[in-house]
Amino acid sequence: MTNAAYRRSQLESLVEAQGGCRAIPPLLLSADPYFDLAGEEFGRRLLLTTDVTGAEYCLRPDFTLPIVADYIANGAGEPAAFSYLGPIFRQRETGPAEFDQAGIELLAQPDGDIALDQVLTFARAALSLYGITPNVRLGGVGLFEALLAQADMPDAWRPRIRHRFGHTEAMDRLLSRLEQAPDLPRTEQPTRDELVEDVTARMVSAGLSLSDGRSPEEIADRYLEQQALDAAHVPAATLKLLRDFLAIKGDALSALRQIETLAEQHRLFLGPPIKAIRRHLDDLGEARVTFDASFSPRLDYYTGIVFEMRGQGGTVLVSGGQYDRLLERLGATAPIAASGCALWVDRMEAEWPK
Amino acid sequence: MTITLAVPSKGRLEELTRDWFARRGLTITRPGGARSYLGAIEGLPEVTVRFFPASEIARELIRGNIDLGVTGRDLIHETSEAGPEAVEFARDLEFGHADVVIAVPEAWIDVTHMHDLADVASDFRSRHGRWLRIATKYITITRQHFAKAGIAEYRIVESLGATEAAPASGVADIVVDITSTGSTLAANGLRVLEDGVMLKSEANLIVSRTAEWTEQRRETLNTLLGQLQG
Repeated sequence: MTNAAYRRSQLESLVEAQGGCRAIPPLLLSADPYFDLAGEEFGRRLLLTTDVTGAEYCLRPDFTLPIVADYIANGAGEPAAFSYLGPIFRQRETGPAEFDQAGIELLAQPDGDIALDQVLTFARAALSLYGITPNVRLGGVGLFEALLAQADMPDAWRPRIRHRFGHTEAMDRLLSRLEQAPDLPRTEQPTRDELVEDVTARMVSAGLSLSDGRSPEEIADRYLEQQALDAAHVPAATLKLLRDFLAIKGDALSALRQIETLAEQHRLFLGPPIKAIRRHLDDLGEARVTFDASFSPRLDYYTGIVFEMRGQGGTVLVSGGQYDRLLERLGATAPIAASGCALWVDRMEAEWPK
Repeated sequence: MTITLAVPSKGRLEELTRDWFARRGLTITRPGGARSYLGAIEGLPEVTVRFFPASEIARELIRGNIDLGVTGRDLIHETSEAGPEAVEFARDLEFGHADVVIAVPEAWIDVTHMHDLADVASDFRSRHGRWLRIATKYITITRQHFAKAGIAEYRIVESLGATEAAPASGVADIVVDITSTGSTLAANGLRVLEDGVMLKSEANLIVSRTAEWTEQRRETLNTLLGQLQG
């Protein structure tokens, strides 16, 4: 018995055996939370429909959001584990819009490291049902945030750089811009009051609301901040550090050693996040593990460690990690640890040798 | 084997297209007048002319239901992300020039480039409790361009007319719109970002790559294109 139905039933049992609660969110979900959480970039992948009032709904595009939203609605706080297997729907360039995903969500677990271990173990077990030894790619969101917090630069630049983490081109454009920052002669700046007055006049004449959306004060402040930023250069050594750091990728152990060397040179204290990553290497068994310092999903609720597992053809079979900021984003009142992963079931089946 | 040429069905676009063909010695006829949707090219019986709205021409070219047609480059990009790969832009017709641009209120003195917009978008929600809103009818183009610029924190408000009025009416914060001179935007207190041109568009004679091209039909196409040199 080595057919697809058998593997599927094995996966079904593995998902059931996760000890938590088997989650079955509805197929039809309100679209707004998805746009709110992930913006238009994810929104373009939704299969949308409207009801008679014009309210927008989408076919379930993932499991994480409805599971987590439901968990919060029922009073977040208690440790909980959910597992799932079922169809999701996304617009894709090729292939059907309906496909199966399986996964787990571990919420409010007392130890985030142990939770991530459990997630990695689950992913490896699922892949082994399909005879797959994956290539694992790890990324360190926590590591980058630690480095950014300690690197020598004007504070205002930190969130701007953080915001571009995970988007290689946007990050490269920002760093290039900072590297070329010219030493402009300082011209006399208008005062904040003058600016506010000027902006207010412009907004009034264009018929813009002064209260809904950006206010004259916000615009004036950002304008002044921008001027200050242009003057407050990020030191060349810091830019080089960021470039060097983001370029590190390869075999996990040697990549981490390179990062340690870099940290020593720049007197950065990156011990805890590096140690956290190293710890998880043991769980990954015989899989080939690479670490890529620039790798992160483009959603800013990810924290700690993120990962992808790929098959022979290079397609992503599993993605996941830690996202401790997600629950707050969805309305929880305090930060709540969260980790999990999603598996692409049809892609895993496609890896089975024919 | 006949091939189908789609021509915009009304207005200035139809007129300019027929003029452009006429200057190259090809007379497009429309025997039934403005209410007929079938035409021909004098002396080229193997080409069937159909009159369609410009946006339908874009859609049908991408699907391969018509073989070649005249429409705006912007419509090919907007109709589908896969649009530009599904067609070949064969001739720039040298009219209908316009840019799809990003414009912000002129009062936003701190926003001159896309990277400023990225900064403003990134903390817009924490400041105002909602996403930055962009009014546009160019949803596909906007999403693609913003994804490339690394901006994900915004919502599109679909606008099917008078997009330039959206910031003043409070529907949106900024706009993505098409403009040939920028004067309508300026008149509404909007300023195009310095790197805010997302697409340069013009009327183009476009060949479908997804249509079924037999050798004979390909030959007919080449004959026709041969007569339509710049």
